[in-house]
Amino acid sequence: MRPLQIIACVKVVPKPEEVKVDTKTMTIERGEVRSEINPPDMNVLEMALTLKEQHGGKVTVIAMGPPLFEPYMRLALAMGADEAYLLSDRAFAAADTLATSYALAQGIRKIGDYDLILCGEESSDGATAQVPPGIAEWLETSQITYAEDLEVLSDSKMVKAKRELAGGYEVIQVPLPCTVSVKIGANEPRFMDMERKVWAEADGPVTVWAASDIDVEAEMIGLPGSPTIVDGLAQAESTERKREFLEGTPEEQAKVLVERLRPYL
Amino acid sequence: MTKSLYGAKEASGIWIYLEQSQGQLEGVSLELVGKARELADGRGIPIVGVLLGDQVGDLAQEAIAAGADEVRVADDPLLRQYTTDGYARVVTEIILEGKPDILLLGATPDGRDLAGRIAVRLRTGLTADCTDLKLEEKSGLLIGEVWGFGGGVIAYIKCPDNRPQMATVRAGVFAVPKPDAARKGKVVNVPVKLSEKDIKVQVLEHVVGGGVDITRAEVLVAAGRGCQGDFTLVNELASLLDGEVGWSRVPVDEGWVSRDGMIGQTGYTTRPKLAIVCGISGAFQFTVGVEKAETIVAINIDAEAPIFEAADYCIVDDMFNVLPPLIEAVKKARGGNGGR
Amino acid sequence: MSQSVDTILLQDETWERVDKATGGAAAPCFQCGVCTAICPLGLVKGETISIRKMVRQAQLGLPGWADGLWECTTCLWCESRCPHEVDITRAILGLRQLAWKEREVPEGLPTLLWDVYFDGNTWGRPPSERPLWTKDVTVKEFSSDDEILLYVGDDAAYDRRIQKVGRALVSVLEAAGVTFGTLGEHEPSCGDAVRSVGHGEYAAEIIDANARLFQEAGVKTAVTVSPHSYDMFANRYPNLSGDFRPLHYSQYLLELIEGERLKFENELPLKVTYHDPCYLSRRNGICDEPRQVLQSIPGLELVEMERSREDTLCCGGGGGRMWMETAAGERFSDLRVPEAAETGAEVVVTCCPYCLSCLEDSLNVIGKGKLRVMELAEVAHLALQSGAVASDAASGRS
Repeated sequence: MRPLQIIACVKVVPKPEEVKVDTKTMTIERGEVRSEINPPDMNVLEMALTLKEQHGGKVTVIAMGPPLFEPYMRLALAMGADEAYLLSDRAFAAADTLATSYALAQGIRKIGDYDLILCGEESSDGATAQVPPGIAEWLETSQITYAEDLEVLSDSKMVKAKRELAGGYEVIQVPLPCTVSVKIGANEPRFMDMERKVWAEADGPVTVWAASDIDVEAEMIGLPGSPTIVDGLAQAESTERKREFLEGTPEEQAKVLVERLRPYL
Repeated sequence: MTKSLYGAKEASGIWIYLEQSQGQLEGVSLELVGKARELADGRGIPIVGVLLGDQVGDLAQEAIAAGADEVRVADDPLLRQYTTDGYARVVTEIILEGKPDILLLGATPDGRDLAGRIAVRLRTGLTADCTDLKLEEKSGLLIGEVWGFGGGVIAYIKCPDNRPQMATVRAGVFAVPKPDAARKGKVVNVPVKLSEKDIKVQVLEHVVGGGVDITRAEVLVAAGRGCQGDFTLVNELASLLDGEVGWSRVPVDEGWVSRDGMIGQTGYTTRPKLAIVCGISGAFQFTVGVEKAETIVAINIDAEAPIFEAADYCIVDDMFNVLPPLIEAVKKARGGNGGR
Repeated sequence: MSQSVDTILLQDETWERVDKATGGAAAPCFQCGVCTAICPLGLVKGETISIRKMVRQAQLGLPGWADGLWECTTCLWCESRCPHEVDITRAILGLRQLAWKEREVPEGLPTLLWDVYFDGNTWGRPPSERPLWTKDVTVKEFSSDDEILLYVGDDAAYDRRIQKVGRALVSVLEAAGVTFGTLGEHEPSCGDAVRSVGHGEYAAEIIDANARLFQEAGVKTAVTVSPHSYDMFANRYPNLSGDFRPLHYSQYLLELIEGERLKFENELPLKVTYHDPCYLSRRNGICDEPRQVLQSIPGLELVEMERSREDTLCCGGGGGRMWMETAAGERFSDLRVPEAAETGAEVVVTCCPYCLSCLEDSLNVIGKGKLRVMELAEVAHLALQSGAVASDAASGRS
């Protein structure tokens, strides 16, 4: 069997409960928040490492973000990834999905050899799910979104996966190279190897690339490269509710509730 | 700036990708036609549907009845099932031919699969997973409302220069319009220039329709962490009320259930008449998925759980203490109505 | 997964790995088999798991994964009867560590470790929610002038049922005039869960960080809610400052009683039996302290179950079993609840979050008349309330 060159795209996201909105300035406070690897991207890493165990080859991690992402790149190495690249430059900042997928695609081109590009189905902060098909288009690879149960048929250079549909699923097979968005919960991410962690933190191969290190056109990355703009932010308003607390024993509460709900019964 | 393949000056109309599966239109596509009609009225903007499939021409009339002025139909055996390569190619050709100002798709797995691909092919902006749409008063630009960061932030996003202005919209945020069978519209058959070798995707298995669509449920009983994986009573109450069962994120994370019935920011947006929410604390990520309910009942052991702020009727207790007498009381009440 | 001993070629490399992971704990074993014969899993599963075989595996460095490796609750019953004093738990946890290396661990356990790693607790909840257990009572942040650090632990911080134990304990400490505080949202996970699922390497990292945190905070006496935290602090943590003094709360309450700071003056007419947590009794010989606390309450009658003190029956929650699924009917607590009911007690008292959860779960399933489960702290709290309240509560009316 032919060894596989696997690219694992990851993102570091703030823990959802940590993000606060300044209601006065309507800006998002992301200062000292705790972060984590985007949960479906953990499934990406597990899938990449499992495939490497099955087929041999190499797992290369790529991310785009500020320098604070770097420890998480090392965490991916501690889980078993071989090397990591972080696209980090102010010029990449404030990118929408078009500019993000372009920059990542160019980073992947620079890494060079790839059979599979694995991404999480969506990020927990942006939740657009549009970057994986975007990367696939820039690199002109096939794509499988919302995938689980990935099977690489390396002799025929195909990949097969179960893919989520509205109210169902399908099993499809496409040629390599392929960009895959991995369904959240597709597997259980392995824990780090503690010996590897020591190595990853001290000597793990993490390379930081600035915009000038990869072949990108300045007007196609970051804010200038983003056709969409944020026109405003607002605090979510919730509908006024009655908020009537029902008292008494469960039997009494049930009786009152059924009275209140009579129109629906 | 990355230039799109055509500009604002040449662009016109709101176009909707009409997603169909096995000869049936997705509800979200009709919801989008209805919303587009509402946005277009008074502005004289044409509403155009784009329909791909194999012998699906009949569906065009459904879109017209929902408010479309015109439907462009690409009918070909090679389009019988959705494939990224086949559909992206045909939709892109239709878009470049018609140059719409706005292109809307449902945020379904296939809708997102297609939208992300063609947005890059057309070099344009895409606002993903919108929960509302409007047109800017002066410019007529599309403003997409999206929920961000799980923290109750709403962002309004627009795409000033590139065309089409693309957006995917969640199912259930708009109502399905009442069909007007008398409405007239134009159906245009588009020639399909596709050969077998253009489609590299092989669909080996395709299973849909087994699940329930909770976005259309009139009564919804939802359970979370508090059910501890036991949905027996929840199921019983739901079937008693002719309703469906949904859940928050926790039961999915715990592996108790699949994502099929997950409500909330990363799950489904529902708009039932009645939602009974059991053992769910009510983090914002969940409540966005039920807040359109007419009436919400919350049962939670923790009196301070945020769900009570979003509920009409509140019971502070373990759901397992409340549900058995509630089920009995519902049975009795229904009996009194002569049953159903 | 189990391998026949006859067909295995011993390899030096494997032997070394196993020997290193188990710390040579199995060396003194002479394969008498007492451990297997008496393992309480036989009581619930119909057949015992072969502890002897696992120890053999550890001894000879046999590859492969023994059946039952993850079933062990580390209750120490076998060790307490082993004629050669083999550290059987160490052998088993060592084999589990190897299983982590080979990625042969039960589903859910990697997620447990990630929860501890990213959130600092076994519940996968935000640290900012850690102090919320106090609800209507105010508990201040620990300062080095305080008499004790109250180490709440993950369960009392996040589990709604165990939170009540924490609040009861706070009111008892307040009644005794103790100055105390907690580490609030900075309180770390003690590492027991990580260690007991066999990830000794990660546990070592946690221990190292926490020991330094306690030293920097100026912690001397640390009082724990859980016997498992106590066991970690007392037996696995280095005593960096030299005067780090971990106590389980049952020990501390007895100190307060003996120092005449805590007095129970009201009658509490309650018939109770006491369930010894393995990690207090067999592991640490703490059997008298909780009983003496109970006996200092006027009107309270303590009756014993047959299996008690160092001969207690495990609840089934140790050894990481709290994070693995135990089939109904295979739970020790299902046996323990009827044993408690037979004594005629109204309340089975225990002082371990795992025991409390397991016993209550079984009680909910089996249902044993009026029998209830309470923590020692809850009984003490009840005894401190006015006579009327206490007698109402004791009879289950409130």
